[in-house]
Amino acid sequence: MYIPLALFYYIYLFFVLAFLLFSFFNLYHIIRFGLPTIFSSALAIFYILVSIIILAISWYYISQVDWKQIIDIQPQFTFK
Amino acid sequence: MLKFFLPHKKDNETIILLLRRHPFTIFLKIIFWLMVALLPPVFYGFLVNGDILGDFFTSTIIWPIILLALSIYYLFVWVLIFYSYVDYYLDVWIITTHRIVNIEQAGLFDRVISEQELYRVQDITSEVKGIFPTLINYGTVYIQTAAEQERFTFKQVPNPNEVARKITKLVEDSKRAHQLMVADTINDEKGSI
Repeated sequence: MYIPLALFYYIYLFFVLAFLLFSFFNLYHIIRFGLPTIFSSALAIFYILVSIIILAISWYYISQVDWKQIIDIQPQFTFK
Repeated sequence: MLKFFLPHKKDNETIILLLRRHPFTIFLKIIFWLMVALLPPVFYGFLVNGDILGDFFTSTIIWPIILLALSIYYLFVWVLIFYSYVDYYLDVWIITTHRIVNIEQAGLFDRVISEQELYRVQDITSEVKGIFPTLINYGTVYIQTAAEQERFTFKQVPNPNEVARKITKLVEDSKRAHQLMVADTINDEKGSI
């Protein structure tokens, strides 16, 4: 029985989506309920920039992986 | 003049104090999350230098999974750092010339706003407890009122003794003004009869 390695990639994408949603709601709360100061705006922009950097670094390494590989989960017994 | 969105702002009402938790509290949380962010490289250094599971990280199957897990780990550490700041920033306690407003962000999509007229305040207590609060001077101010929400709590605010003193002065002025207003109203009613 085989599991495609890409399955973990799709699970990863799900977590990235959760991260984006969580980020959106955090930014929404700051913008809606916070005071519109230069500091708040700068902090929001800084947060978005660092998020993009983390995603870009992740994408750089993830794109180097061969996701077409398969994982054989069937136990293999050898008898001597 | 302090500016902030004040719910149900009254005529001639101005903000006297706008309080948040002491910045040291959010500094501690950020330090905690930065230490969490350092855990993977520390574990990697320990495992590889100790020659434990060295080949594990070069496997063409295991390494991609570790890579994905690391990416998720750092994304969520980062978003939780930001969430800690949002939670700190959106908890606000406001003292105006007329009332106390308590705005607490209990979580995402959970925001509680309570307010009370100053003349209804019955008791004000300040507390500084612990090593860091004593050295840096931050603590809690408890405000007892004659209302449905009996107690307002200003948590980890800077200079709590001074805050309590200012509120006490404002409460005294408010009660005096309220008594005069009530007396004027009674006199007006007597005059009209």
